[in-house]
Amino acid sequence: MRNFLLVARREYMEQIRGRAFLLTTILLPALFACVIGVGYLSSLGLGSNKHLAVLSNNPVLADLIRQRLTRKKESKTTVDVFAPASIEDRARLLKQVQERSIDGLLEVVSSGQGLPEATYSSPSSGDFITTSRMTGAINDSLVKERLTRSGMPTSDADALIKGITIQTFQVKKDGSVIKSNAVASFYKGYVMAFLLSMTTVVYGLNVARSIIQEKTSRIFEVMLAIAEPEDLLAGKLIGVGAVGLTQILIWVTAAGLMLVTPLAASTLSGDFEVHFSWVEAVLFPVYFVLGYFLYSALFAGLAATCETEQELQMFTPLAAVPVWLSFAMILLIINDSNSVWSVAASLFPPCTPIIMFLRMGSQVPPTWQILLSIVLMLLSIWGVLWLSSRLYRIGILMYGKRATLPEILRWLRYS
Amino acid sequence: MPVVELAGVTKAYENKVAVSNLSFSIDAGQMFGLLGPNGAGKTSSIRMMLGITMPDSGRVSLFGKPFERGSLERVGYLPEERGLYKKMKVLEQLVFFGELHGLAAEVARSRATVWAKRMEIDEVLAKKTEELSKGMQQKIQFISSVLHDPGLIIMDEPFSGLDPVNAVLLERTLLELKDEGKAIVFSTHRMDQVEKLCDSICLIDKGRAVLAGKVRDIKASYERNRVIIEYQGSSEFLSSTEVAEAKNFSGHAEIRLKEHGNAQKLLQEAAAVATIYRFELVEPSLEEIFIKTVGGKANA
Repeated sequence: MRNFLLVARREYMEQIRGRAFLLTTILLPALFACVIGVGYLSSLGLGSNKHLAVLSNNPVLADLIRQRLTRKKESKTTVDVFAPASIEDRARLLKQVQERSIDGLLEVVSSGQGLPEATYSSPSSGDFITTSRMTGAINDSLVKERLTRSGMPTSDADALIKGITIQTFQVKKDGSVIKSNAVASFYKGYVMAFLLSMTTVVYGLNVARSIIQEKTSRIFEVMLAIAEPEDLLAGKLIGVGAVGLTQILIWVTAAGLMLVTPLAASTLSGDFEVHFSWVEAVLFPVYFVLGYFLYSALFAGLAATCETEQELQMFTPLAAVPVWLSFAMILLIINDSNSVWSVAASLFPPCTPIIMFLRMGSQVPPTWQILLSIVLMLLSIWGVLWLSSRLYRIGILMYGKRATLPEILRWLRYS
Repeated sequence: MPVVELAGVTKAYENKVAVSNLSFSIDAGQMFGLLGPNGAGKTSSIRMMLGITMPDSGRVSLFGKPFERGSLERVGYLPEERGLYKKMKVLEQLVFFGELHGLAAEVARSRATVWAKRMEIDEVLAKKTEELSKGMQQKIQFISSVLHDPGLIIMDEPFSGLDPVNAVLLERTLLELKDEGKAIVFSTHRMDQVEKLCDSICLIDKGRAVLAGKVRDIKASYERNRVIIEYQGSSEFLSSTEVAEAKNFSGHAEIRLKEHGNAQKLLQEAAAVATIYRFELVEPSLEEIFIKTVGGKANA
């Protein structure tokens, strides 16, 4: 017990003082923030700052289109209207497009009661965002023009075009009803699942790398003359796992502190309001620990059969495939988080931590499913540890070449 | 009571017998050489003494009791290749190994400081291991194996990586430890050091002990067949029928006699053609005995 604690403490201290820990603890959330921030900023700027010309034989429709394209949200767009326009106007505007002095020319030609014909000419062939905005603008303007022409007040026409927004509420098991946002909830589950998959796999591979380094530097030879292999393996798993938990604790604390700031309060409100339940707060570290032990125990055994980190890379798909599989099921889970497939996948131990949190994005799964998933994971960890400790016990003393499958099977028989 | 005893120990891996019916014992205050060509079974024997692997049959006893892991706190081990954490600072590393051997952190720290002074490396205690030379790392490894004041010290190639000055320092330290009553086992390829330091040896070949006993007795049991002559005059006597092999330098010759060669006859032949200043019949070196015993395998 004493040796196991000493080994765990050494592992913990070495990793926590390492540059990699500092970098990942600070950089990973910073990277996340950057990705989200850049995505948000670029979405604000999409399609803006355009200088467009609208050419039409219907001045009312052309002006409605201009209003729609320059409304508050997209006020950076400049729209010049030419209605009615001459052939010379068209030629001049096309020349301006050619010379890049305007970004595009939208032509809307009305013909009686039928739908008008619309064409858009621009120097860029792939500006689908502007094209999409203009399609919306033309359709809305056309509906408004027809409705007002038939006598409907402008405000009624605007209200109809704006349409309705459905308010979503989540009814909790205790009967309480809270306002919810399906998209925000999904992203919350997605981010938590992503963090779980990253940390469990990264720390699992950390254990493997550490074993290979100790094998290469022959430290095992000294350590085994003092401690039992089981103490070394357990100490390493606990020590590295504690580093992961420390990192998660730092992230959660930092996120908690940020959430109470006025900026976060104003940003994460309304459509972006996200609710965290205590169940999620408890299950996140629980599934991290279970996922970490499953992957790290597996990789510890495999690392003991390798001589170099390059040889270990051969086994990395064993960690990557469950992660890919879990994220590939996102659409299925969004559609119905309680379908047979979603439940079955969330009970498959290598996928459990990720899929459980993806499911929690929609709703917290029934208690029996959570408990069953934990029991299944514990059984899997026990099985993998049983196998890995046998490989580890012999593998760490085998030098020279990577073990072949028949050799690995023989090791299992020996121990 | 022997400090360590192997009695009829056998260990096999798959179809290969690594150690076969090996027996020897080492007493307190004794320096013991475990010798043999590569793959002879030395490492397997050491691993069984340390409980890293268990014998298939036979018995390993430490400090008069059948092997138990608790006894390992009284054993120090220096492996052939450095087994140190490269990123750890030297003092932290020594304290860690001391604690693993049952010392309190403070005791380990103060002993590490004393030993660092004794081994002349106290200036590197605050450095990371990876910043140090191979020789320095060897000294750190040595300190980590003796920090807990073990009764039994097992060393595999303790002199590798050391320059002559540090090799002498280590030799002196080992002799001091021996005088303090420690039992020291070392496995090495350096026969000159075995000859100088060891009281007893066990030569293993193909897993079996082929030669064992006190170094003095072993050497005495071999015929003295080497002659050193310092002379002035003709070197004609070097072609004597008694000579198997001769190296002739300026007035100095080293001769190996034929089996049962007559040294007195050679002396007479030499005296007849040259003035003899020195004629010494020397016993065979341990290296010669080694090569002769294991059939000329030079990779001891």
